[in-house]
Amino acid sequence: MMRQVIYALLLGVIAEFYFFGWGVFWQILLGVSTAILVESAFLKIRKLPIKPVITDGSGALTAMLLAISIPSIAPWWIVVLGVAFALIFGKQLYGGLGHNPFNPAMLGYAFLLISYPLQMTTWAAEFLNFAQSFEAIFGINLPDALTGATKLDSLKTQLALGKSATELSINSISQAWINLGFLLGGLYLLARKIILWHIPIAFLSGVLTISSLLFLIDNSLYLPPQNHLLLGGTMLGAFFIATDPVSAATTPKGRLIYGFFIGILVVIIRVFGGYPDGVAFAVLLMNIAVPLIDYYTQPKVFGQ
Amino acid sequence: MPNSALAQEFQGGIVIANNSSGSMKIVQAPLPDSVILPLQQRIGDEAVALVAVGDEVLTGQLIAETTDYFCTPIHATISGIISAIDKQIIPHKSGLKSNCISIKSDGKDEWISLNQQHKNFLQSPPEKLIDAIQAAGIVGLGGGGFPTHAKLKNLTNCQTIIINGTECEPGIMCDDALMQNHPLEVISGVEILLHICAASRAIIAIEDDKPAAFSALQKCNKNQQISIVKIPTKYTSGAEKLLIKSLLNIEIPSGSFASDEGIICQNVATVKAISDAIIEGKPLVSRVVTVTGSGVAIPQNYEVRLGAKFADIIAASKPNNLPHNLRMGGLMMGLDVENIGLPIGKISNCIFVNNAEKKPAEQPCIRCGQCNLVCPVGLLPQQLFWWSKHKNTEKAMDYNLPDCIECRCCDFVCPSHIPLAQHFVAAKELNYQQTQQQYKTAIAKKRFEFRQFRLERNAAERAEMMAKKRAELQKKMANDKSQKAKIAKALERVKTKKDENNSNI
Ligand code: SF4
Ligand code: SF4
Repeated sequence: MMRQVIYALLLGVIAEFYFFGWGVFWQILLGVSTAILVESAFLKIRKLPIKPVITDGSGALTAMLLAISIPSIAPWWIVVLGVAFALIFGKQLYGGLGHNPFNPAMLGYAFLLISYPLQMTTWAAEFLNFAQSFEAIFGINLPDALTGATKLDSLKTQLALGKSATELSINSISQAWINLGFLLGGLYLLARKIILWHIPIAFLSGVLTISSLLFLIDNSLYLPPQNHLLLGGTMLGAFFIATDPVSAATTPKGRLIYGFFIGILVVIIRVFGGYPDGVAFAVLLMNIAVPLIDYYTQPKVFGQ
Repeated sequence: MPNSALAQEFQGGIVIANNSSGSMKIVQAPLPDSVILPLQQRIGDEAVALVAVGDEVLTGQLIAETTDYFCTPIHATISGIISAIDKQIIPHKSGLKSNCISIKSDGKDEWISLNQQHKNFLQSPPEKLIDAIQAAGIVGLGGGGFPTHAKLKNLTNCQTIIINGTECEPGIMCDDALMQNHPLEVISGVEILLHICAASRAIIAIEDDKPAAFSALQKCNKNQQISIVKIPTKYTSGAEKLLIKSLLNIEIPSGSFASDEGIICQNVATVKAISDAIIEGKPLVSRVVTVTGSGVAIPQNYEVRLGAKFADIIAASKPNNLPHNLRMGGLMMGLDVENIGLPIGKISNCIFVNNAEKKPAEQPCIRCGQCNLVCPVGLLPQQLFWWSKHKNTEKAMDYNLPDCIECRCCDFVCPSHIPLAQHFVAAKELNYQQTQQQYKTAIAKKRFEFRQFRLERNAAERAEMMAKKRAELQKKMANDKSQKAKIAKALERVKTKKDENNSNI
């Protein structure tokens, strides 16, 4: 099951690859290897069987989600640190798969973003080949011209400078393509019934609702809703991150609430918060609310 | 309700591909060489044998009886000689041994003379018919095994009879075959029930993937009170309360019974047995059993004498030579059996002979919620599992553990292959024990408190008595004192008088 999710990610990954270059490949490689090493070591110390955990693919998936969320040219230790943090503090310390209240990948992401904001917001401005990206990741600095701030970040600064939002949104073509890639992958998962529709649909409706509202209030200050759908981590978040079953709500109604509020929080953090994108914090915030949501959305029991 | 109305669908449940391509004939299984008939029934006391080893018996002869209300008498299912009365393993979840009567066949299958006094059942009073049903040894043949007479007795205000013609589980086809081959008996059985219950209508529910059974019954049905209804083919649609909901849109409250709402449910095979018993006077000595699974060449239905061995009919279905997993009763609700030498009982509707496969390893619950979507009674198996696993029965009860019908829909969809229902059965058992324990402690506490109270009361009573006695004594003593004082005074008086006298002298 986890493996199917990894396959479905590939379309979006290819889009990222097209725009940012080989760095994506390096990040994923580093992340997944770290995941295998860290989990094996942890299980060994706890004297638990290693093989079933490594082969269930959940650690690799966490690593992959984290690796594609961070900038493709972030130094190597960023992803290693992030994955290790995610799997140790976000998963294994809680007792392993199925027991963690927080989405491990997003916990790792939040940890990195808070600790290393500079490295976490510097994105490649153009396609980097195999060698260039290797240099960037493993220590040799690239010329400044090749790097730029994250698209959302620059949008925000430029919006602040008084340019109209629609004018700027053309810049985000690359983001739109990446989002489309993840959307297609997500639809594949839906079709294969690997994820259920509740969370992604509720997530996207949440994003649409709040962004339309903002746009109606002031269309010179806020982006049009369709742009929010195709920016940053929206599609990745809706189909691959918020749907992580372990940390999501489990009742059908609960999942609608859970997804909807993540969608709303994503936009709010994006627009009003100090961070470039809101998926990680939105998901973590709603993770906290899961037990409550689950308890109050129990379905009606037959005969009661 | 129009005759072919499709009942509404219920939430949850699962659709399992039903690839039973077996024939719908009912094959008469060869007469077994011997039969084993357990004296222990589903509930109630063990029956007492009326025969001894060496006795000759006829088919249909009464051989054991009990006075227990929830039990039915036991009949010989072949003619022959009683060869043993001893403890044998019977097909039961507990793997229990029970006293059994074994009969060795004489190969003649000679019957007792049949008593057909209720042939014109409309002339017989209902109580007599219920007694005749009990005397014929009829219990629910759908798999429950609940004694039919107990369901029919003391009914008040019964409006609707529901005849369950849904196979309880995919793969089983004995009821389908029965409806196709004996539609007349089924209809007349329903008419008998209508007479007994004085109900205004009867509904026969059939899954929509059984058109042949549907039209067979439709053709035979001349009775205005009986309607035949198709329901969606979906696992657990045959569960009693869910069936009532989809047919009548009545939701039987948790903890109460269908009969409280004026509804009784019977399975089609039971209804046919009732017809045989009342109209032909035949006691229940055989039933239809499906043999199916990946390990047999052709799935087939057999009419088998009760007490024959599973091995007898499995052999007739030409199993392949691979190792098999055997399961009695159905893939979902049944139970695994190891020994094909076990006797077929009244509730043995099906035996699965599957090629042995390795079971996939159980993995941790990833909270995917698939189970929550399929539970037909709207429970959250994932939460129930969490609390059951941690033996927190209180929390599990909060999540309505007792409403679980153990249908295993949740197991079926769980990507982590967790045997969820098994955990729920265990949790229910644990909860039962705990409440029993609590009950016992409560009683012990009460007893202790009462003893304490009694001791205190006794002490108080005694103290009071003592106090009374003391008071009396004191009074008496005080009386004594005043007496003494009087005497002393008198003496004094006498003395002074004497003194006076003396001085006067
Ligand atoms: S289907 Fe299995 S893995 Fe999924 S939530 Fe239910 S118990 Fe857990
Ligand atoms: S076994 Fe119990 S919890 Fe599972 S689906 Fe059936 S009724 Fe629901």
